Amino acid sequence: MVEDQLLKWKLRRGSKEALAQVYQKYIDSMLTLAVGLLNNRATAEDVVQDVFLSFARSAGELRLQGSLRSYLMTAVLNRVRDHRRRLGRQALRADAAEPVDPECRSSDPEEAAILVEETARLGGAIAQLPDEQREVVLLRLKANMRFRDIAGLQQTSLNTVLGRYRYGLDRLRAMLNGEVER
Amino acid sequence: MRSNKEIEETIRTKLNFTFDPPLRGQLLARALREQEQSQETEPAIDRPAIRRMIMKNSIVKLGIAAVIVAVLGIGIVEFLGTGGTSGVVWAQVAKNVEASTGVIFRSGGTGLRNPIDDWPNGYRITWRSAAVTRTDYYRGGQMYRTIYTNADTKTVIALFHDAKKYNKEAMSDERVQRARADKERWTDPQGLLNLALSLEHHALGQKTIDGVLCEGIEATGPDGSTGRLWVGVETGYPVLAEIEGIDDGKVRHTGTMDQFRWNVDLSAEGVEPEIPADYEPL
Repeated sequence: MVEDQLLKWKLRRGSKEALAQVYQKYIDSMLTLAVGLLNNRATAEDVVQDVFLSFARSAGELRLQGSLRSYLMTAVLNRVRDHRRRLGRQALRADAAEPVDPECRSSDPEEAAILVEETARLGGAIAQLPDEQREVVLLRLKANMRFRDIAGLQQTSLNTVLGRYRYGLDRLRAMLNGEVER
Repeated sequence: MRSNKEIEETIRTKLNFTFDPPLRGQLLARALREQEQSQETEPAIDRPAIRRMIMKNSIVKLGIAAVIVAVLGIGIVEFLGTGGTSGVVWAQVAKNVEASTGVIFRSGGTGLRNPIDDWPNGYRITWRSAAVTRTDYYRGGQMYRTIYTNADTKTVIALFHDAKKYNKEAMSDERVQRARADKERWTDPQGLLNLALSLEHHALGQKTIDGVLCEGIEATGPDGSTGRLWVGVETGYPVLAEIEGIDDGKVRHTGTMDQFRWNVDLSAEGVEPEIPADYEPL
């Protein structure tokens, strides 16, 4: 987008306004991706803070040719993977056991209560997916990434990514429809 | 049952998290400081950007409650969009509804977001007064959800029976206003009266519904959606409402409201749900 091109140009010139605009534009998407990947809000907030502060420090050197959104989302993914490696699977499972506090922006109280529940169930179901499938589903649907780019991030073939996406959705559908026990 | 496409749409639109305002402000302030400090030591490098980004942004705020409002509420607006020429005095019907302290009714429909909630597998029982609304959601004959709102005490209680979870929270002033506005739109007696008097309809004649002799009216909205309201001849209260919502020339949604009980004192009905001891916070 032209707007992002302008933001990158301004960032390289040290514009605070541009950094604030990037922040307002992408910080919630970054948090949503991180929460989805980790199923732990506190850890997700730490991850996103680390990523954005690092981005702020290096914004003046930004040589990014692709989209800001993909760049930031990829940074979140990489930081999540670092987190996984650092803590190991056992700690992550404990992490994931902490319930995510769902939120809803609806002002209608009845609708809000329902959406809170649906978000909690959805988050719980996504947390049950294998890491690779969860990454593909979230990068595709919440980061708007192309399958080809996701394949690059996962260092695998396009067909494998497409398969992970389909299996992931099938499994989510089964869980949300109550076809299998979670 | 939900399809993969619906799962995709749900994730796209409903899985959203935001930073709490204080943390949001703190993080931005810290990021700006980091940016400033980095500039003191490192010069900015310019380089032209090349690739264009395509970003999709779809925002759909449609929960089951919204669907109900859309299917039933809008439908009611449409079927009241017709004047009055039948034997029932519709202005008196509106007065009766206005004077009713509380009402209980069943509602259901087809074409809902999750087909598993379509009638007859899914339906809802609603208690409603000026300040209080409680809706019990049923699926396959089992109650799986209860949502209670009280605009006076500014309280929302949600029970998710199938998961044995609950959520109790205070309503913001914005939500209170929204809840009251919803009632004014399609369940507030004065709203019904105004609508009935301001719109046209044609009579459907009489028929017996559940042993009650009723008279009906039918209206067609600008988009072709139709609604029928049947009122008890003797009681002067609504007995049955039927709605058919039209999208792109096809019937996409149907809605029914029936089993009305008017003039119910909700305070005596024990409408506020108790949170079972074995339920955990959501």
